[in-house]
Amino acid sequence: MPHPNTLMIIGALLFGLGVIGFLSRRNMIVMFLSTEVMFQGVLVNLVAMGMMHGNLQGQMLGLFVLVIAAVEAGLGLAIVVMMYRRVGTLDAEAWRQMRG
Amino acid sequence: MNSQLVYLAYGVAALVALGVYVGLPKEGRCSRRGWVLFALIAALGGLAVLLNRLLSLGADHISFYVLAVLCVGGAIRVVTHPRPVYSALFFVLVVLTAAGLIILVGAEFLGIALVIVYAGAVLVTYVFVIMLSQQSPALDGESASVLNYDRSARRPVWTSLAGFVLMATLVGVVVERDWPSWDEAAASEMAKQNTLAVGRMLMTDYAVSVELAGVLLMVAMIGAIAVARKRLPRGGRDSAGLPPGEIGKHVPPY
Repeated sequence: MPHPNTLMIIGALLFGLGVIGFLSRRNMIVMFLSTEVMFQGVLVNLVAMGMMHGNLQGQMLGLFVLVIAAVEAGLGLAIVVMMYRRVGTLDAEAWRQMRG
Repeated sequence: MNSQLVYLAYGVAALVALGVYVGLPKEGRCSRRGWVLFALIAALGGLAVLLNRLLSLGADHISFYVLAVLCVGGAIRVVTHPRPVYSALFFVLVVLTAAGLIILVGAEFLGIALVIVYAGAVLVTYVFVIMLSQQSPALDGESASVLNYDRSARRPVWTSLAGFVLMATLVGVVVERDWPSWDEAAASEMAKQNTLAVGRMLMTDYAVSVELAGVLLMVAMIGAIAVARKRLPRGGRDSAGLPPGEIGKHVPPY
């Protein structure tokens, strides 16, 4: 069985990659996919840390993170569809006026 | 305690960030990008193997190395692929390999739930939204089928740098810190009864949370329907003469 530290490294890399994708891509669907990659990193980290402490709390929290991720995907994608209908593009730069 | 490992970890983070930078779509890119990316992923895999080897692991975890490299490489491709459909497919790869990693360390219930929820449900939602909202651009060239906002990333240098700093910090902390000691025998003993233990815990200690999660899912479902629906005109007098596919297109978004 691999050491939990190695899993934590994978989780950290996944989280950082998701952050890069969220900041750099302009397509709103890909931005949401990047947040899902971040969720994966967090999940892997939770399992690894729960394992390291020798109990199941990490996996429990991971299950509820899974629920939250599903909720986030559903609502976020509904908002993406609505924004696409309004401006006719998925470009996040089209919502430039929200910068204030 | 692992002071020389920290620099190795920084190197891994730098390689990953460099791979993302090379792979991010830019206007007027030469076509060798795929090969450079492949080489970077291979180098990353080598480094990951080295890192894991140094972290008190034997050589008998080939499946772990393969899954880890595939996971990080797939995540790089999710972030960098210019077409959203392929991003979604690479995300399936990330989910499957992450589930494999989780199962490998004994959390089998969570791994299977990950495959069902992510690769099954969430990805179908993503593919539906991509199909609903992807425009069909004019096909007058090879790269013309990729939309222009997918063809150029936003500030690739700075975002890769920020990601490098984040990853290097996280990985460095993971490598450097003195974590509590880990009992492998107890962990593998616990992994044998994983599903039983998780189910028992879910139904006793976390029963209220399970109910709350169900309520939250229903609220989110109703909210998503309320947000994404189209308002059709009441009575249907002006939509009566339209063919079936055209009815929704003549309604302004509210």
